[in-house]
Amino acid sequence: MSEKAVLIARVTRCSTRSFVGASRLPEADVPTFGSFCKARAQRGQSEVIGLIYDIRIEDDEMARQIAIAADPSQEQLADNRVSRLIPIEISCLAVGYSSQDGYAYALPPQPPMTLDDVFALSRDEVMAFTQSMDFVPLVFSAPGLPADELLAACLRYSAEVRPQSEQRAFLVEAGRVCARQLAGDVARLDRLVRNLAP
Amino acid sequence: MSERSELDEHLGPKPSDLPLGVVVGGSLSTGLTVKIHPAFTVEKLAVGRYVVIRGRQTDRTFFGIITDIGLDATDADLARRPPMPDEDFSAEVLSGEIAYGTMHVSPMLMLDEDQDQPRPVKTIPGHFSAVFEASAKDVDRVFGTEDKTHFYVGTPLDMESVQVNLDLARFIERSAGVFGKSGTGKSFITRTVLAGIIRSGLASTLIFDMHNDYGWSVLDESGREYKGLRQLFPGGHVSVITLDEETSRARGSKVDGVLRVGYEQIQPEDVEMLGSFMGLSGVMIDALYYLSYKLGSKWISILLGDENEETTLQDLVDEGRILGATLSAIRRRFEFFRRMGFLVPGKGDDAVDEIFHRLNMGTSVVLEFGTYGNTMAAYVLVANYLTRRIHERYVRQKNLAAGGQGDEPRPLVIVIEEAHKFLDPQIAGHTIFGTIARELRKYSVTLLIVDQRPSGIDDEVMSQIGTRMTCLLDNEADIRAVFSGVSGAGALREVLARLDTQQQALIMGHAVPMPVVVRTRDYDTSLYASIGLAEGEELKKRAKKGSKTLYGD
Repeated sequence: MSEKAVLIARVTRCSTRSFVGASRLPEADVPTFGSFCKARAQRGQSEVIGLIYDIRIEDDEMARQIAIAADPSQEQLADNRVSRLIPIEISCLAVGYSSQDGYAYALPPQPPMTLDDVFALSRDEVMAFTQSMDFVPLVFSAPGLPADELLAACLRYSAEVRPQSEQRAFLVEAGRVCARQLAGDVARLDRLVRNLAP
Repeated sequence: MSERSELDEHLGPKPSDLPLGVVVGGSLSTGLTVKIHPAFTVEKLAVGRYVVIRGRQTDRTFFGIITDIGLDATDADLARRPPMPDEDFSAEVLSGEIAYGTMHVSPMLMLDEDQDQPRPVKTIPGHFSAVFEASAKDVDRVFGTEDKTHFYVGTPLDMESVQVNLDLARFIERSAGVFGKSGTGKSFITRTVLAGIIRSGLASTLIFDMHNDYGWSVLDESGREYKGLRQLFPGGHVSVITLDEETSRARGSKVDGVLRVGYEQIQPEDVEMLGSFMGLSGVMIDALYYLSYKLGSKWISILLGDENEETTLQDLVDEGRILGATLSAIRRRFEFFRRMGFLVPGKGDDAVDEIFHRLNMGTSVVLEFGTYGNTMAAYVLVANYLTRRIHERYVRQKNLAAGGQGDEPRPLVIVIEEAHKFLDPQIAGHTIFGTIARELRKYSVTLLIVDQRPSGIDDEVMSQIGTRMTCLLDNEADIRAVFSGVSGAGALREVLARLDTQQQALIMGHAVPMPVVVRTRDYDTSLYASIGLAEGEELKKRAKKGSKTLYGD
């Protein structure tokens, strides 16, 4: 039985390379740094696959005031966490898209539209998308991202959705794909591989 | 073409379908560099194995041999910060990708799609051409099948089902060599090849059997007994002639004759090669020619004092023709002749004609030295004595045949051991063995030299060796010598230096399409049977059939 898609945000701004979704409050497990999400694009002809690389919670005037209050009540804290006006921002790197032909590991033809729903990828979808590691170069080539930590988190998560017996082989293969990308920088590769180790 | 099954689709390519790696560099002269696929480990490869390279831009297939295996890394820094022994995961990830194996492949043959027979390489496969382990079918295609003139001598490494067949017609066309350290199985390989030649009837062989290894049964290091050529060919294709009848009888060897060489048959040319063994100086050797000229055919008997000709010798000294000290030295050294029982005063037997006749009739002759094999001078003397005379007869008969006055002589292969004693650079230029090696098959006589020190053989002679079967050699000079005159063979040096100590040989040259490392064929009942020797039940069956043919039921 397929899992029910979990809505995690709505798109607030986007480009073909990345999109940002806003949500009220993150669930305990999703979204997390390094997990996959998807948002429809091209009027439903495709879905952009995103890799969450940043989760940002901005402050507001009320939060700043409560923060310096002498003894705020639990009710005040909870109210400001849940009912705050400034949303939590989830930044996603576009690492591929799906269409009728399956997954493509390239930048999408079009980004999602504003306020499109952003869903977390189910475990089955993660497993299917990560059958190929062709998205890894897109992560390495994205400027200004903590690419190594992001990949380590994403690949570990992708291993966890697989049966126990396949997890090590998956991580080894993933590590080799990373090694190909970082062949000229052994120190960086060494750190990444250590982070991947089961 | 068979379609891929659903299971194949699911499981992916079988290991044998996966390429070992891809060509990443190299040249025709230095060989190809191949990056090994991460799925393969260098630990399962071995130099000497065959590979097949499928050209990327053409349908051409290249056959090559792995000549070296190495380790490399994309970043030199990896050597400074390798994964520690307990970091299995890191080691597994890095192995095959940034730390990878390489192999060096010497391309040997190429085959176009529309051709049946491979031919020597004249180009190389392009970048990133896939390299596969050669299948049994691939290797079979190169070495053909066994027939009357192609003799099975061994199997390629790790390919027990594939036969490497020696082209015997080409083998006897030029002189050949079997080289290897002591105890590596040279005699077994030589005996196997000789059995093939004798079975094929392509040539007669004259074997100077120093250690009694070829004629009758022989024991290996573990004491196991193997049949000699005389036993393998009981129908008269092989004769054993001994110099030491007593020893041959004691060994239970069936001999067909005893060789006696008369003093009067020996010429200074026969003794000249013994210079280093008998301590004969250049002056003494010159004196021998003079003594032979002055004293006639009995010159050795006179020198030994067997004839009452002391005054004649004294006259030569008195006339200043020869120094007294030189004469005395020669006489002391010639005492050696008395210790050689096969040397007899007088004219001796007509052994040369007898042996030549046998050889020309298609009978191979094994000359057993018995205990005289331990005396190098005896071996060199007899080999030189017989070879010179038999070669003379071959030259004469060949010339008669050329003039339409006789038949072509039957091709002859002369087998000599410790060949460097005959083909030393100092003497090879003017000995009969050097002549035979250089003149190729002009007079239908070639050499099969068996030696453990090929570096001691004259370079010019080595360069004329057509087929080389080489067991393990570890002396650098010997390895270099084995490859002299072989173009592009430098890469095979690593292969040669890493052969097993027994039953492995690198065969290259005229009689094989490409160099091949073989596990040599077992010299056992299967070989006996393949050359037609019947034993046990088969022998009884044949005897019964013969009896029935002769006498009826």
